[in-house]
Amino acid sequence: MIACLFVPLFPLAARLRSEPELKDEAVAVCEGNGSAARVVAATRKARRAGIEPGMTLPQARAILPKLVARGHDRACERAAQEALVEVAESFSPRVEDEGEGVVYLELDGHPSLLLAPLTPSLSRREREPLKSALSSNSPLPPSGGGGRGGGGRLQGILPLARDILRAAEKALLPARVGVAVSKLAARIAAGLPDTPTVVAPGEEQRFLAPLPLARLAPALEIASTLDRWGLHTIGDLAKLPEGEVASRLGETGRELHATARGIDPRPLEPCLPPPSFTEGMDLEWPLASLEPFLFVAHAALERLLRRLEAQALACTRLEVALKLDPDGHDARAITLPAPTRDVKTLLTLVRLELEARLPGAPIAGFSFTAHPDAPRRAQLSLFGPAALSPDRLATTIARLAALLGADRVGSPRAVDGHRPERFTATGYAPPPPPHVRVAPREGRGLLAVRVLRPAVALEVLVESAAPLMPLSPLTLPALAGGRGDSKEGRGEKALPLTAGEGRGEGRPVSLKTLAPDAAPPIAGSVRVAAGPWSLEDGWWADAPADRDYWDVELSDGGLYRIYRDRAAGTWFADGVYD
Amino acid sequence: MSIPQVQALEALLAGAGLSKKTAALGLLSGLGAKLSRACDLPSPAARRDPIPTRVPALDRLLRGGLARGVLVELSGRRSSGRFSIGISALAAATSCGEAAALVDLGGHLDPQAAEAAGVVLARLLWVRPEKLKDAVASAEMLLTTGFPLIVVDLGLAPVRGRFVPDAAWVRLERAARSRGAALLLLAPYRVSGIAAGVVVSAGAARGIWKGSGCAPRLLDGLAARLVLEKDAQARSGVAEMLALGVAETIAPLTLPLSPLRGARELFRSALPFNPPLPPRGGEGRGEGGIPGPLAARPA
Repeated sequence: MIACLFVPLFPLAARLRSEPELKDEAVAVCEGNGSAARVVAATRKARRAGIEPGMTLPQARAILPKLVARGHDRACERAAQEALVEVAESFSPRVEDEGEGVVYLELDGHPSLLLAPLTPSLSRREREPLKSALSSNSPLPPSGGGGRGGGGRLQGILPLARDILRAAEKALLPARVGVAVSKLAARIAAGLPDTPTVVAPGEEQRFLAPLPLARLAPALEIASTLDRWGLHTIGDLAKLPEGEVASRLGETGRELHATARGIDPRPLEPCLPPPSFTEGMDLEWPLASLEPFLFVAHAALERLLRRLEAQALACTRLEVALKLDPDGHDARAITLPAPTRDVKTLLTLVRLELEARLPGAPIAGFSFTAHPDAPRRAQLSLFGPAALSPDRLATTIARLAALLGADRVGSPRAVDGHRPERFTATGYAPPPPPHVRVAPREGRGLLAVRVLRPAVALEVLVESAAPLMPLSPLTLPALAGGRGDSKEGRGEKALPLTAGEGRGEGRPVSLKTLAPDAAPPIAGSVRVAAGPWSLEDGWWADAPADRDYWDVELSDGGLYRIYRDRAAGTWFADGVYD
Repeated sequence: MSIPQVQALEALLAGAGLSKKTAALGLLSGLGAKLSRACDLPSPAARRDPIPTRVPALDRLLRGGLARGVLVELSGRRSSGRFSIGISALAAATSCGEAAALVDLGGHLDPQAAEAAGVVLARLLWVRPEKLKDAVASAEMLLTTGFPLIVVDLGLAPVRGRFVPDAAWVRLERAARSRGAALLLLAPYRVSGIAAGVVVSAGAARGIWKGSGCAPRLLDGLAARLVLEKDAQARSGVAEMLALGVAETIAPLTLPLSPLRGARELFRSALPFNPPLPPRGGEGRGEGGIPGPLAARPA
């Protein structure tokens, strides 16, 4: 069985899906510009006032001055069509997209049809549409072997068709559903106002016979010819001999005759699901400020994420395409650290992106394209530590990345090597917590080092020869204050001190930051110094590290890790013991 | 309630109510049965399931660890051990399976050292803001996400970024309370004002060095005095001594360290072959297996 999902007045339905607040207003969708614009579709309220398709906009306005006119928006229609296809895909993997608000889906093998009741147990309300769809002399086919086909299947189809209708309504599309064996019969059944309509197998010709010929949508010339022949219903055409019709109307007439007999050889041609989801619209007037645009964008993002939710997907990358006024385009891409379905997050990211780089011209239209990915799932535990909500975590990480920069949020990782400043960070995806809370490891009471990134350049006074004895606090002020002076006659004399390039041959005596505004400021005389320890790393690389490290305690009590770059002879502080 | 009844109740609660037992029991069997001491009532701020920092001195001061739903501020000048305490708390939380976040204003974290200290890096979210305002905003976002432990390190003085109003800290404290999260604020000086539920200051820090006289010196650790400045549920002014040690990793090939220049060449010349690099764990050793300065510390 094939079901046809059909949205009548599709341009209007697509527009109202984008602007649901106009649902109860007199709205007309027009094609063309200025006074040449013609009404394509109108809401019921407008039609009651006398607005008809084909009227020019001035004519329509003359009838109804308060008519709300909207242009033919291809972006809206494309998004609505995609949403319709997604509704169909939620019921069947085999879906054909015919465009313009028409989608076919194959229902064979659907679980609700396989599990249909063995005996007819339709309620009165359910039985009526089925009866109305079938002609009076077309009884329900007898149940097949085992009771799994025939009437049982038809009874299973009705609730399924209603489910499809509800899903379409949820996607803000007023659709109709027709179910038949062939695409043609399903399409015509879907066009009937009494929905859903089910055509029993083998009853297509009988179903089509009483319907007017216009339902077959013949070409204009053929329609006028058939009208002159006095044929008004499909059944009238079907009764004519095929050869006679073909000899008079040609190949088109032969196909139309076959169609009137319910013969439709076209198979269902399934389409592949789109790799991305798009929502957007052309604006009635260009928006020059951000807030009104975000207001409109919010609704579009909501629709987009609702579609993703229907497919159990989340957005991992959002592309924003802006149509600028009077011409030009602007395209952005926002990559999310983790898949999310949070509208607020995406809207915040769009805002930050646009604030960071303004489009430069008023926005006349936009489209959002979401690249889907499976959202993260978590299994909660009764006895273990609470797991973080994946959705909320993804949202937070996205907001943090937008606030601070994507490279400033992540999970740290150890890196092989010897340089103490090395680090790397990856995306934060914590493993699930244990099912039972485990005791924390015993603390080691280790002294940690604050790594200074980048290292702070120092001006260091050193002894010319490194004695193996501690420096006396009494001598330090003198040493620090008397640069270049020689203090003779002391046991711990560490003289002469040198200054400038090339110094650093021995133990540091005092140090201070080279730049006056360096952060953090470091200055003082060295109370205790330990070292040096050599570090050589990456000698094969462009920037090798060849350093002599010292641990020093300054007179203010600060414990620092400093090093001397042997190649350049300069000193740096790259860590604070804290 | 009449005065004799009140006196009888007080006497009974004080444990000396035998002589007035009748009146007291009469009181307790009626409406008075629902009366109890205010201090025995469960407090909304009662500490439940604290997260231990695994720093004995601080755990004693905080009576078990970082209370959930409380903003704990630890302030102290440079080299007072507050960053080590933060790393230790993160190690304790992540090693028992909980997620944790570090808001690192200065970007000071050393992942290698943190892993060596017991932090499960996969469970740690590292956020590196550049301004104080962003740090506070990040902490609030993380609190609303549901992280059970968030450590906010404001780095070294002067704190980067502009001054934030007291209301920001009050918001943080309320977010922590509503989410039941432990929030540890490490600052070079008091910043959170009245918002912090517990305030600990670290002072009188000094380095502990090995070696004396003419022997080479070696940094062995750090000692500081932790003082409980404020705690609504404990007596303030209590002090504990904090002791932190340097990780000791002995390299397979070590020589007694000498700061003399040319030791490396001497070592190389004394060996008949170029020794292979030792396996990981002796990180920080220099070329040719020479003991290095960082993770590899001689005993």
